[in-house]
Amino acid sequence: MAQHFDPRNAPFDRLSAEEIDVVGDSLDIAYYRPGETIIPLHGAPESLFIVIKGAVEERDGDDLVALRGPGDIFDSRALVQGRSSAAFSAREETLCNLLPRDVTLRLINANPRFASFFYLDIAHKLDTVSSEEEAARFTPMLNARVDEIFLHPANFIDATASIVDACALMRTHKTYALFVDGGKGPGIVTRTDLLEAALLDRLPLDSPIGPLARRPVLSVAPDDMISTALVRMTKNNKRRVAVSEKGRMIGLLEDIDLLGFLAGNSQIVGGRIDESRRIEDLARVAREIEPQIRLLRRQGVKVDLICEIVSDLNRRLLHKVYALVAPTSVREAGCFFVMGSEGRGEQTFRTDQDNGLILAGPLDHEDDLVRFRLAVFDALAKCGFPPCPGEVMVRNPVWSKTLDEYRDDFRSWLALADESGTMNIAILYDAAAVAGDAKLLRAAKQDLIDLMRGERLRLARFARAIDAFPTPIGFFNNLVTSRAEGDALDLKKGGIFPIVHGVRALALENGLLETGTTARIAKLAELGVFDAQFARELTQALHYLMTLRLDAQIAEKASTSLVKPGEFSTMERDLLRDSFQVVKRLRDMLRRHFNLAMF
Amino acid sequence: MLLGLKRRFLLHRLRDPDYRFLFEPPPPGEAVSIDCETTGLNTRKDDIVTVAAIRIRGARILASERFEAVVKPKARLNPDAIKIHRLREQDVADGRPIEEVLPDLLRFIGSRPLVGFYLEFDVAMLNRHVRRLIGIDLPNAQIEVSGAYYERKYGDAPPGTEVDLRFVSILSDLDLPVLDQHDAYSDALMTAMMHLKLADLKARAVRIPRGRDKPLAHYGGGG
Repeated sequence: MAQHFDPRNAPFDRLSAEEIDVVGDSLDIAYYRPGETIIPLHGAPESLFIVIKGAVEERDGDDLVALRGPGDIFDSRALVQGRSSAAFSAREETLCNLLPRDVTLRLINANPRFASFFYLDIAHKLDTVSSEEEAARFTPMLNARVDEIFLHPANFIDATASIVDACALMRTHKTYALFVDGGKGPGIVTRTDLLEAALLDRLPLDSPIGPLARRPVLSVAPDDMISTALVRMTKNNKRRVAVSEKGRMIGLLEDIDLLGFLAGNSQIVGGRIDESRRIEDLARVAREIEPQIRLLRRQGVKVDLICEIVSDLNRRLLHKVYALVAPTSVREAGCFFVMGSEGRGEQTFRTDQDNGLILAGPLDHEDDLVRFRLAVFDALAKCGFPPCPGEVMVRNPVWSKTLDEYRDDFRSWLALADESGTMNIAILYDAAAVAGDAKLLRAAKQDLIDLMRGERLRLARFARAIDAFPTPIGFFNNLVTSRAEGDALDLKKGGIFPIVHGVRALALENGLLETGTTARIAKLAELGVFDAQFARELTQALHYLMTLRLDAQIAEKASTSLVKPGEFSTMERDLLRDSFQVVKRLRDMLRRHFNLAMF
Repeated sequence: MLLGLKRRFLLHRLRDPDYRFLFEPPPPGEAVSIDCETTGLNTRKDDIVTVAAIRIRGARILASERFEAVVKPKARLNPDAIKIHRLREQDVADGRPIEEVLPDLLRFIGSRPLVGFYLEFDVAMLNRHVRRLIGIDLPNAQIEVSGAYYERKYGDAPPGTEVDLRFVSILSDLDLPVLDQHDAYSDALMTAMMHLKLADLKARAVRIPRGRDKPLAHYGGGG
């Protein structure tokens, strides 16, 4: 087959070898001179077009909505619906592969994965992509190296030591197995061995453990793949395997840790947070939260679930910090809460300390509050939360005061109606209580909601921020990148923020108490503000953008929102385009709804 | 007039009346891009190894209706040629004899004009067998893409201008995709693309600018 058609491009990469042959045999090639119409508006194309060379303009009326380049496909919607909603014409001399409509439809019917590309709504498309990602993710996990997993340190005991000695040593080191030093080379003795020797074989407790040791010791090297360790354990029916380097035992790999590595061990991290007695312990556990993200993502866990798990761990951590440092007076009168993305539960990689405190009334000893502010700040800094550059944190008296003082603030924020007022309303409206009396936070939010209720101008001023950054949709491949950012595209400014803020404005207008954007969208759909279809697309677009951002953060090991569309596959670019189209629709809706044209 | 005379003369010499269709008027706007891979470059001694033909209708290349055949050569494969087309003895062993392939090819081509790169060579290779089959050479009109390219690019060039008519140079100058070269089908396909683009440039009276040539990888040609 000639290679004017690349079967590695989505959606053809989902076809079987036979189906690819069918495509290869069915393709014709068409040449279009500059300006020539390829599909007229409302036309019924007889084939799917795949650009080989050149550029194709997609126009909605007079507006140029997209430019398609080599590898891009159009017009999948028109092919399915039998009528195009845009006009396509060659911008320059263009060559396209033509896949006949009947062949395309046959493939759609025969291959659901291929078909998903042609689904009319992005929600369906994304569902298919993520399940594929999930399938692709387990294999790399098994290719991790043994030394990437938590290894128990190797503990040694002499062959002449008694069963009692061995038992005591195991308890000291909290281990299930000891390496036995003796004449015949290294051996291993486990708790089960000791138990059986004492209880079943009725050996005296002071008998030496030498004869109990098993040899040879099953071992792997630190740079072996964990699949090797897994196979070795399974074959020999062992629950642990020694890790040896150059004949020296350096550690012990337990099946539970291996499984924990594969499955994630966020539940263990959560438990460790709860068990911590000192800030120092917490700080140590806090460092284990971030690796969970990478792990969960590698396992293909969806981004909304990762956010949920990570927020839960972070909130437990804050809860614990509060319990450890808050004096009784504060604990009796206060509500400790997180704000912003942490409050919405949409945080993955840790950002700043975004937290506050509401008190039911003034404290008898103001000193308690002053000490508390600094103690929380220090504790969180030790746990790896950098200070908030905007000082939106308990350390700042603006964010740690009584409910009445907050209420006064709300009125001045609204009266000033400037950018910082909008930002303050937004972050407080997203707040979620982590410790103390949650009713205080709810009362504050309810007050804020009441102040906004029916206030069209206030709401419009608040919603206006959705236009702070343009949607990065434009001409080439429909995605606008910034040269200043090295042809990267800011997912947060262009997509995540407008969705979060737009939904937040509507939620505030409708007096919702939900904090998560997904929960707000669902509630707004219930209220009929969004239709069910749009709600689904909005949620999926948000999750897709968050997934891309998370993957970029994992790759960069930094909290970045920049991605380079040039490094994406056709499919990913297509999904990104679709996501931004959803953002665009939300913006249009909000502009009409809040009559933003008046500004 | 002269052409009509020649046609009548050839028709008279046509041995097999089954092939009269070669003289019927071609379907309007159609042509066939053709390419042969051979055992060598000697049109008298060397043989065809593969032949590919693709119909062109208007501005469309009907790749889905292509003609492709592997021919069992009578001459032994020339080791140098094997290096070019990468078809070894065992690859062509399953081929059909040219006597079987040719009638199918002629029916596929019909009376359509032939489009090729260095078409003279491919036609000469074919004619040796066509003559034996029907007593005459291929009567089809011939469109040489390198000629059309020369006209668009160098037609108004001052004398002494350096001329580059290599296959890959034309391909790159016309900004066309470079497919797997020295495969008869791919070469015929690329030739068809060249033909369409050159025909369009001519129709719009667009000339190909000179003097912006980039260095190119060596490529021997489409034969």
